[in-house]
Amino acid sequence: MNGNGKKKRIGVFVCHCGVNIAGVVDVERVAKALEGYSGVSFSTHYIYMCSEPGQNMILETIREEKLDSIIVAACSPTLHEKTFQSVIELAGLNPYQVEIANIREQDSWVHSDKEKATLKAIKIVKSMVEKVLQNESLEPIRVGVTRRALVIGAGISGIQSALDIADHGYEVLLVEKNPSIGGHMIQLSETFPTLDCSQCIMTPKMVEASRHPNIRILTYHEVESISGYVGNFKVKIRKKPRFVDPDKCTMCADCEDVCPQIVSDEFNMGLSFRKAIYLPFPQAVPGTYTLDIENCLGLLPIRCGKCKEVCEPDAINYDDQETVFEEEVGAVVVSTGYDLYDLNHLGEFGGEKYEDVINGLEFERILSASGPTGGEVRRPSDGKVPKNVVFIQCCGSRDPENHNPYCSKICCMYTSKHAMLYKHHVPDGNATVFYIDVRTGGKNFEEFYQRTIDEDQVLYVRGKVSKVYKEGDKIIVWGVDTLTGRKIEMEADLVVLAMSMVQTDGVNELLKKLRISSDANGWLSEAHPKLRPVESLNAGFYLAGCAHGPKDIPETVSQASAAVAKVGDLFAQEQLLHEPTVVPVDEDLCSGCGICVTICPYSARELDKEKGVVKVNEVLCEGCGACAAACPSGAAQQRNQTDDQIFSMVRAILRG
Amino acid sequence: MRTILKLGKQEHRFIDRISELSGENVYSCYQCGRCSAGCPMAFEMDILPNQLIRLVQLGEEEALIASKTLFICASCFTCQSRCPKGINIANVAEAIRYLAEPKGKDHFGPDEVPAELADELP
Amino acid sequence: MKLHYYPGCTLKEKTTNLDESTYAAMKMLGYELVEPENWTCCGAEFPLNEEKIVGLAAPARILRQVEMEGGDKVVTACAFCFNVLKQTHIALLNDPLKQKRINAYLKDDIRIDPVTKERTTDFPEYRGDVQVLHLLEFIQKEIGYEKVRSLIRRDLGNLRAAPYYGCRLLRPKGETGIDEPDDPSIFEEFLESIGIGVVDFPFKQECCGSYLSVSLPDAASEVSYRILRSAKLNGADMVVLSCPLCYYNLDRRQDRIREKFLEFTGMPVLFFTQILAWALGVEAEILGLDQHFFDPRPVLGITDKAEVAS
Repeated sequence: MNGNGKKKRIGVFVCHCGVNIAGVVDVERVAKALEGYSGVSFSTHYIYMCSEPGQNMILETIREEKLDSIIVAACSPTLHEKTFQSVIELAGLNPYQVEIANIREQDSWVHSDKEKATLKAIKIVKSMVEKVLQNESLEPIRVGVTRRALVIGAGISGIQSALDIADHGYEVLLVEKNPSIGGHMIQLSETFPTLDCSQCIMTPKMVEASRHPNIRILTYHEVESISGYVGNFKVKIRKKPRFVDPDKCTMCADCEDVCPQIVSDEFNMGLSFRKAIYLPFPQAVPGTYTLDIENCLGLLPIRCGKCKEVCEPDAINYDDQETVFEEEVGAVVVSTGYDLYDLNHLGEFGGEKYEDVINGLEFERILSASGPTGGEVRRPSDGKVPKNVVFIQCCGSRDPENHNPYCSKICCMYTSKHAMLYKHHVPDGNATVFYIDVRTGGKNFEEFYQRTIDEDQVLYVRGKVSKVYKEGDKIIVWGVDTLTGRKIEMEADLVVLAMSMVQTDGVNELLKKLRISSDANGWLSEAHPKLRPVESLNAGFYLAGCAHGPKDIPETVSQASAAVAKVGDLFAQEQLLHEPTVVPVDEDLCSGCGICVTICPYSARELDKEKGVVKVNEVLCEGCGACAAACPSGAAQQRNQTDDQIFSMVRAILRG
Repeated sequence: MRTILKLGKQEHRFIDRISELSGENVYSCYQCGRCSAGCPMAFEMDILPNQLIRLVQLGEEEALIASKTLFICASCFTCQSRCPKGINIANVAEAIRYLAEPKGKDHFGPDEVPAELADELP
Repeated sequence: MKLHYYPGCTLKEKTTNLDESTYAAMKMLGYELVEPENWTCCGAEFPLNEEKIVGLAAPARILRQVEMEGGDKVVTACAFCFNVLKQTHIALLNDPLKQKRINAYLKDDIRIDPVTKERTTDFPEYRGDVQVLHLLEFIQKEIGYEKVRSLIRRDLGNLRAAPYYGCRLLRPKGETGIDEPDDPSIFEEFLESIGIGVVDFPFKQECCGSYLSVSLPDAASEVSYRILRSAKLNGADMVVLSCPLCYYNLDRRQDRIREKFLEFTGMPVLFFTQILAWALGVEAEILGLDQHFFDPRPVLGITDKAEVAS
């Protein structure tokens, strides 16, 4: 009986899924067993229900048998629930009158005993009949869309995303925690496989972003929290005090000249020094100095105050404050980038003990024309030109036992590039690369790698290095050449480690707040590994760049543009439809205990103190059902998943 | 020498026996060579630690039993501590020695220690 | 305070300097060491073979004895014994079937008192409640460096010691080791607490050559030499260690190292308990300093040889 006391006419359609289901479950017997079961007017089976003939069969049967609801016994509802909802909608039925009985993932794929699997399938389908008998027809909840996007992180993925969204005609907030946009890409010397100068191709993008009328760049800002739901987010953004007015700063460098505080320069990976008031790098966007309060002697003029004294345009404001403000956006692109695995994890390579054992980004700065050595390859300890450089791949990667299990993907190529560029700088030097496998899966990558060995005569030694240590002023590397079966010891003047890429520090904290999931290695999870690679499972969040996993620049740019295409899909809609299977409150039963309010992970519930009952924001409710399970009075009943329905389903399963 | 690679019943029985005796999954080695790179005694060995594991993967029981490496391994576990797959290679070497013993392959026993050393040797 | 201490055979027969200095140092720190009654050899090597389970019986019997005497922990100074006892403890703790099989051996033990001829049977099972600690761990965790620092009587601030871990304190990697195999610091912390300068050197966790000094003496000399050389290059006045076999290879075999490597001028090698006892003010003659191949007394400033009768 349905809610109106009218008897339902249910159709059962059992899918073979080729042999995926039929190989283990006797589908014909399942269909037969459902014939005549309470409410079931029709029952059949077919090889592929999701195929066009299968869908047409359902459509025709609904019309011929005058069905008012159906059950498709097939795969997981995450795959084809939408498919069959649209089929019955075509037949004029409400889409919430279809239920999927999962007899594949929860049955045929996990069992091998045919008899037991068939009996289990029958129980699963019968329980769904009980559910459908009490299903109500529902209408989706409709909400508006804020056509404005937030991009978190302004490396190449964030800049590309922002530019694309802006070019689509929508407003973008581009938030970056550092004083300048540019990310890691602006630190690179030249890029594989074309050897374009990274700054030369990056700075035009940075300038374009800064001039685009639709982009608002918020550097030295951090996202504090995001609330709301797809199409209607509220973002709290924290502005860190810069103490310099970017509009007034002329980058004359007078302040820098007088600043007495010398600290390690992050942009040069600590290979040079900067002042406490500094310009991160000459092409920084916005072009302004920033006062790094952590290293400043103090803002009280009696402590120092030298920079303010000399600033002619009066751009320095010691009273600058941290502020938090709120913005409304409809979509969020997460492009927070990556970090390199800390060298301290590799005690057998000396940790961070040896100045001349450096990571790939440090070597990028050494190779860079604008770097700490002015584009000459000189080693950090004594400034000598290294004649023997050893490159070690897979440092912390492909090591499930001790470090990270994954391949960091870009290291084979950048190491090849490093070795090649080193040879261009020091033609009489030796470059040796220790590798396990060389992975060059990318357009023109293999050709590039071969050039490294053909033309630049870089020696590739197949074997993972086990130990790096210092003896006198030489660094000794213990490796192996597995191709000849020889253990190798060699002296090096400089060792460059291809450190594993890892998720950036602190991002996971933010993600927890945003409810975006990440995988076992900390990388952001996409909604589907093949079919929805740029969306998060949490609607309205999109992924771009290395926050989602190691990738090179072309792949990052592609993903950024793809993510923006998905943002465009969202913004193209007049209204957004929200699932109606939410958990409302029966005010007559609600005691106002508030348990559901504390348990709701989506902040969708609120206690109305005047009336002593809980109110629900149905748009925020994701229908997870946590409140329904916790409610002691039965006032929280999920639509089409009520306690009555669940008990009927359990009874059906126990009956068999 | 021509090597005919054959992974028949006999070879699998050997590999499984090694796994059983050592408690290690020798299939999981991907031949990075790190064990050999860090092995303090590798310079004396006729087959390197990574090659030892490789020969187990190939089911080459005879070649393994004939190798000097078995009795050069000092069981210092440096390989185990750095293996990216967590394989305890010293245990694998011990398993091969165990199989070699009934075939008349042994190194030397305590009675062969020179008398002048025996007094002091721990 | 009483503390269960397992010395092991070598410390009673050969490297008595390790045993005696341990007693002396612990006395200064306020501990009376108690050896488990009727202790036997631990087996020296933990069986690497899943089928040689009987090799666990001897170490398990030692741990059971500690349990029977009401002890909840046992300390060792010998790195080898530590390794065998600790691995046995872990193996039995993590594998109830193994524990059952070992207890089947232990239950049937018979002990006949050599004097009274009294037979003891019906021994209890080993329950796995005994914690195995190396003395360096015990100092770190239970005594505390502050206390050690407060009891130091001799100033060793002008000396620089290279802490040599070797294999058995650190590996196999996992539960056995007393620290990270490639980034250890416990030995350094200990040395700092006794006020001696600490030398960081990259061979502190390398193998000394183990028993290859018998079967492949040249190869063993080479690896031993690299360790001593590295310590020296990094400015060490002495190498400090915990393992009798490492001591044998690094000190007692320096004759062979010198024959092979003519540039090597020698290096004092001391047990950590010797330097600890010395710092705590123990008399030199108790520490067995005369047993070393390379005489460590000059570096410690002990010039009056008569005082240390050999």
